[in-house]
Amino acid sequence: MNSLIETDQSLLIIAFIIQLFAIPFVFYKNEKSSLLFSNIVLLIGLSIGLISTLSSTLFTSNQILVKSSFANFIRLDGLSLYFLFIIQLIAIPTTIYNIKYLEHYIEKKRRIKNFLVFYIVLMISTQVIVIANHAIFFLVMWEIMSLSSYLGMVFEREKEEVQRGSFYYFAVSHVLIFMLYIMFFIIHNHTSSWFFSDYHILFSDGNIATIIFILSLIGFGIKAGFMPFHFWLPQAHPIAPTVLSAFLSGVLIKLGIYGIFRTYLFIKPVPEWCGWLLLVISIVSAILGVWYALAQHDIKKLLAYHSVENIGIIGIGIGIGFIGSANNLPAVEVLGFGGALLHTLNHAIFKSLLFIGSGVVYQNIGTRNIELMGGIVHRAKYISLLFLIGSVAISGVPPLNGFISEFIIYSGFFKTANELKDYYPILMLMFVVGLAFVGGLAVACFTKVNSIMFLGTERREVKNFKTSFLDYISLGIFALLCIVIGFYPQPFVIVINNVISNSFINGVPSSALLDIDWLYFTFIFTFLAIGVFALYLIKVKIEKKYGRRKSNAWGCGFENLNPRMQYTASSFADELNTIPQSALVYHKNFEISETVFPLQSKFESHSKDFMDSNIVIPLFRFLTTSVGKLQILSQSDIRYYIAFILIIISIYSLIAFLWT
Amino acid sequence: MDINILQGIILLIIILGLSPLFSGLVNKQKAILTGRIGAPILQPYYELHRLFKKETINAFSSSFISRITPLINLVALIIAAAMLPVGFLKPLISFNGDIILFAYILGLSRFFQILAAMDIGSSFEGMGAAREATFALFAEPIFFFTIGSIAFVSGFTSLFDIYYSIELINISYEVFIIICSISVFMLAVTECSRMPVDDPNTHLELTMIHEVMILDNSGIDLFIYQYSSYIKLFLYAILEISFFYPFSQQNFLLGLLIFISGSAALAFALAIVETITSRTKMKSIPLYLLFATAIGILNLLIFTFTK
Repeated sequence: MNSLIETDQSLLIIAFIIQLFAIPFVFYKNEKSSLLFSNIVLLIGLSIGLISTLSSTLFTSNQILVKSSFANFIRLDGLSLYFLFIIQLIAIPTTIYNIKYLEHYIEKKRRIKNFLVFYIVLMISTQVIVIANHAIFFLVMWEIMSLSSYLGMVFEREKEEVQRGSFYYFAVSHVLIFMLYIMFFIIHNHTSSWFFSDYHILFSDGNIATIIFILSLIGFGIKAGFMPFHFWLPQAHPIAPTVLSAFLSGVLIKLGIYGIFRTYLFIKPVPEWCGWLLLVISIVSAILGVWYALAQHDIKKLLAYHSVENIGIIGIGIGIGFIGSANNLPAVEVLGFGGALLHTLNHAIFKSLLFIGSGVVYQNIGTRNIELMGGIVHRAKYISLLFLIGSVAISGVPPLNGFISEFIIYSGFFKTANELKDYYPILMLMFVVGLAFVGGLAVACFTKVNSIMFLGTERREVKNFKTSFLDYISLGIFALLCIVIGFYPQPFVIVINNVISNSFINGVPSSALLDIDWLYFTFIFTFLAIGVFALYLIKVKIEKKYGRRKSNAWGCGFENLNPRMQYTASSFADELNTIPQSALVYHKNFEISETVFPLQSKFESHSKDFMDSNIVIPLFRFLTTSVGKLQILSQSDIRYYIAFILIIISIYSLIAFLWT
Repeated sequence: MDINILQGIILLIIILGLSPLFSGLVNKQKAILTGRIGAPILQPYYELHRLFKKETINAFSSSFISRITPLINLVALIIAAAMLPVGFLKPLISFNGDIILFAYILGLSRFFQILAAMDIGSSFEGMGAAREATFALFAEPIFFFTIGSIAFVSGFTSLFDIYYSIELINISYEVFIIICSISVFMLAVTECSRMPVDDPNTHLELTMIHEVMILDNSGIDLFIYQYSSYIKLFLYAILEISFFYPFSQQNFLLGLLIFISGSAALAFALAIVETITSRTKMKSIPLYLLFATAIGILNLLIFTFTK
């Protein structure tokens, strides 16, 4: 057993070293081969890492061996291993896509070496963050992660939107890390240790735990993109290179979730208000996130808002877990945290799938505006099928993986209501309805995306739609994962149960998660798949007998239907967007000519982010002007400054003098 | 084979076989109430038979989505039908949490129906699809506010157990259940595109929801769509009828009697509603749905505080 642990961990170290070795390959002279070699080396490193994670006890028993090494700087417990698994699982197909994606830029004579280096550094630092056990080490890695993703983001720096969006990311990630600094310094002050494994702060110890909880919620919440702090996501995601936006949305924002989980482990058990706070924030994030998404036409922006929704769903799970923790109900805890953990994995999978899918489309169409797309299904059938799989999964509709995690969260609601009686059933019912509402909106949102992008006829002519083998591999892996988790969730549920019984619950673990009849899902979904397939064969036979042909669509007598007469994304979503008009800052503008023979009419609709346009921007504008007023103090003569310094020092000394 | 499974399969076959009959019943009664002789009760079967033998025509712009959607729709509805209790008999699919699967499997069928409508690339279908997406959003909460609230009150999460748990114990609970059943009725009307929300009979006016979505389908595709819509109507009818099972005092024969007479009574009720109401304006449908939601919430609040 002992030797097994040793190999296990040294394998991970070897994996990191190999990944680091990808960097020298970047500087190989020929751009194409440097791209290929460095990515292949990175892939080898990531695969070895994934193998070492998969061979850990996380996947084999619910007694996870917690391992520390490098003078306790690195520690592998259930939570770390699980997030490491997610990162590596997502990083591999993303890197596969990266090879083809950057080749596209080489053809355009762009230098890609910088980006490659940052990409590799980002991959490594992200993996190290989740296994770090030392606060300073964690923060340093966090900073490397933020910076390398920022530097990768400014890849196309000559574009104005790129500068703007990446600045959002840069600024926000530094506000965030400031929160984390304060949080860890407070913790260090209290526990006089830098090691995560030593942190056990109880809420009964005074206000420290409350402050830590709030700081972690703000700090990690900014990273995750919970509602008031979501505004950077739709700015940063669209402008990043596709691989980066896929990784950003799939993995990096999950580090915020990891952080919240990690801080929870420092301060558990939490009081109940923590759970309620998170539940309310999350349900607002979920509903408004998807509603904003519905109003977008920029596919990447839409997906970014949709991440806010999914983070909300994850947050709901964590909130349920907190309530379970507060009331000492392991069953509720297992279902809440379990749903959150599984949804973290699921969202990472289908969001990466959708981002990479939209990247493939973007490379061929040359626009991110879905209003100009359409009819891609006739050009690239399999891309649209893969994208469809991602859309079904993200809408939380059976039989794919999104449904499974939402089901666990629903079960969490029911369990909470059952265990706590009193006024809980009605409160939980509100959340159930909220989540169902989110589901309905997600269906509207993704039917819109899918149908406008892929179905119907081409709104803008596509010359030729090029897809490569690597695109299919990368997307195929994600789609396969969606299908496997949906159809056969049992092994994944067992792993999550292992994580929870290892990391979250001290007492007797509950079997609530394993008690759900998972095999029913397997049966029903298999029946669904086989049924549809069998009926399809029958249908084809019948059609052969009675005939089938193609004809024009019905135009109510009108003959010259053209692609621009198709229903647009705006009109599809208009009715839904008009409802929360003020929250969405949704403007419609009609200009109808009133002449006898109307010549030109105009209509436009816009949606802005409430937080961004009404709070963040005005706030910083105010700060700029008010700080600008202080400029009277800035003089060109250095003697003024010396005088200021003297005045300040004398004020300080006066205070110090009077203090004693 | 396990007796339970056999019984479940038989129930499923009954539901699938009788669903066109239910539609025929509604239409016949409606015709009589409006002073017409009307088509025979078995007309839906004839209709299906006619469609079955027709040529299938697909639009030029349609893709594989149009080809598979009718099938997904049908299979999803069959799965949903397999979860419904008929006269106190355990359905084929019954496990803890199947209420969520029930709601979401209908969501799957809706997802693909919207896609298939948009697949044609015509504005007519697009309009129907947008409406379906919008109204479904308001319809979804009603399901959870009614049947979901009974689930929360009873502590069960399986449709069968939820209905099984309904008992005539005290007046406040009875009122709660009755108002829930009214909400469910309003939901059924919406989901099955019946009268105050949608008119299944006319293809004119661009105000339709369900009919306009399947406008460009014919032959076997239309056959499956029609059949699915019959199943859907019967499915919601059973959701409604099941509220009356407590009267059967857990007696199988009495339960079956309630099932049959309940179906007839519900068909009559639908016919009456369709006769005396006119279709509401599209703009006010969300209000209609929010009304159903509101009585659901109010009902639950009243019940919780009088308990």
